[in-house]
Amino acid sequence: MKKDILVRLANSPAKLAKQAKLALLALLAFLVTSCVSQEERPNTPQGNFEALWHIIDEHYCFFDYKDIDWNQIYQTYKVRVNDNMNHEQLFEVLTDMLSELRDGHVNLYTAFDNGRYWNWHEDYPTNFSDTLQRRYLGTDYRIAGGLRYRILDDNIGYVYYGSFSSGVGEGNLDEVIQHLIFCQGMILDIRSNGGGDLTNAEKLAARFCNEKTLVGYMQHKTGKGHNDFSAMEPQYIEPSSNLRWQKKVILLTNRGVYSAANEFTTYMKRMPQCTVVGDRTGGGSGLPFTASLPNGWTVRFSACPTYDANHNQTEFGIEPDYNVALTDEDFNKGKDTIIEHARTLLNSN
Amino acid sequence: MKILNSILCVLCFAATAANAQNKSHMIGLGPSKVLDTYLTPENFSGTGITYMYIKEQRDTTRHWSNTYEHEVDLSNTHDRSHNINDLEITYNLYWARYYNFRPILNGLKLQAGVAANLCAGAIYNMTSSNNPAQARAALNIMPSATATYDFHISRHLFTARYELNLPLVGVMFSPNYGQSYYEIFSRGNYDHNIVPTTFVSAPTFRQLASVDWHCTRKWALRLAYLGNYQQAQVNNLKQHTYTHRILLGITRSL
Repeated sequence: MKKDILVRLANSPAKLAKQAKLALLALLAFLVTSCVSQEERPNTPQGNFEALWHIIDEHYCFFDYKDIDWNQIYQTYKVRVNDNMNHEQLFEVLTDMLSELRDGHVNLYTAFDNGRYWNWHEDYPTNFSDTLQRRYLGTDYRIAGGLRYRILDDNIGYVYYGSFSSGVGEGNLDEVIQHLIFCQGMILDIRSNGGGDLTNAEKLAARFCNEKTLVGYMQHKTGKGHNDFSAMEPQYIEPSSNLRWQKKVILLTNRGVYSAANEFTTYMKRMPQCTVVGDRTGGGSGLPFTASLPNGWTVRFSACPTYDANHNQTEFGIEPDYNVALTDEDFNKGKDTIIEHARTLLNSN
Repeated sequence: MKILNSILCVLCFAATAANAQNKSHMIGLGPSKVLDTYLTPENFSGTGITYMYIKEQRDTTRHWSNTYEHEVDLSNTHDRSHNINDLEITYNLYWARYYNFRPILNGLKLQAGVAANLCAGAIYNMTSSNNPAQARAALNIMPSATATYDFHISRHLFTARYELNLPLVGVMFSPNYGQSYYEIFSRGNYDHNIVPTTFVSAPTFRQLASVDWHCTRKWALRLAYLGNYQQAQVNNLKQHTYTHRILLGITRSL
């Protein structure tokens, strides 16, 4: 049998050559057709509009939660775009379209302006004044990484963390806790903290729990569909193995608390000795991604939604335990109503 | 005594042949094209530099021989608006085991076998702050073949060599479609991040063509072209890195 095959093969060199040619052609066809490529939209106003609409359509994570009909928005804004418009006019239309998402994490970055939706804090009182804060911090406050801190007259520790973009080390946190160790409580002020690095938020929160604590859930998109999401993964804060704060802590918030700072508020809400005082936070619970348009503009958008421990969205903010606002009367007296309320709470316990 | 001498000679020859190898160092320049829809749907193009080291066994007395290739690539690419830059760095290790066919056509040597390719790298988007980087890691099994031909031009010996590596199967790292690196590395939330690949989902292939001018008995100058087409389509994400390089180098025969 084997011999027969060999004889047959030997008798048909032309057949072999033909087969080799066919194999070569198949290989060439495979190499030519197997390119992994992506359709490029033209760098025109209409092309950029289409590119932006599709990026958001395929990646944005809050369509259902916010009940947004993105196809309808396409129809509404498409008629406003034509290839004769200049880049400032295009920017205006695209920013208007993005504002429909009502999301502070959605931005359009260009060389001449940043498209933004800031109503989440611009439509509300600030409830924070650096003039008033200086009355409490003075000028001889301590600085440890991104933290500013001091002991107030009534033996209450005051710590201000203005941005989670400013790093804080374990050594910094040890020093702060050690300095405040004999205080009767701590005021942790994160008002107007617009967010930053989530790992800084986790590091700080780990100083306020004594056991592994479920603080929320997180998921991400797994495909282009508006509802293509992964399973919700629980998020835990593990207690720090360094010094941990065991006394009362009052967290001060306002509408300027956004993104990672909003997430930190979610964490702290789960800590037993923590009370949140101030205004509702600004929100921003979607972890943002970026992408670029044909004309080089960059768009940022919420991509991975996070939830609190009860599976609730915090995209539009978190209610404090005590809703307190700055009053004109206190302001005129040089007093921060929110800090004073926190002091009262700590002194009354 | 004569027989003993003959045996010793044969053994010496065999030992020399077993250790016979070419070592080549090359450096090259050329265009690069980068796409990664995890970072952005836009295509990036630019210029890159590649360093390559090849250690090739020349043992013709054996049926099987090994070739090791180290390839380091660094590319600076930009989008079509020239506003946004991507920096790409990749290291590739190829370990190939070839079957040596008997030389044919007076000087033409053919090899066929399989190469294991280990790829590690990253793309860094220099303007983005939220998801600025993408990691690359893959292990591929690639059917491979080489053809080597020695020829003379006015008493100078030249060697032409062509190598082709084709895709078959592999495994690669990839974040899921909209998964952040924060989830993977800070939270340890894995979701289909180690993905088996085939020649359909990761049609990566590579070709290397070179000509050596043997200026001395041990040393040769090498001019080469490298085309490396690394691509994948997994987790609803598309990525490719195409590099074309003209390389110059030296080869030492041991």
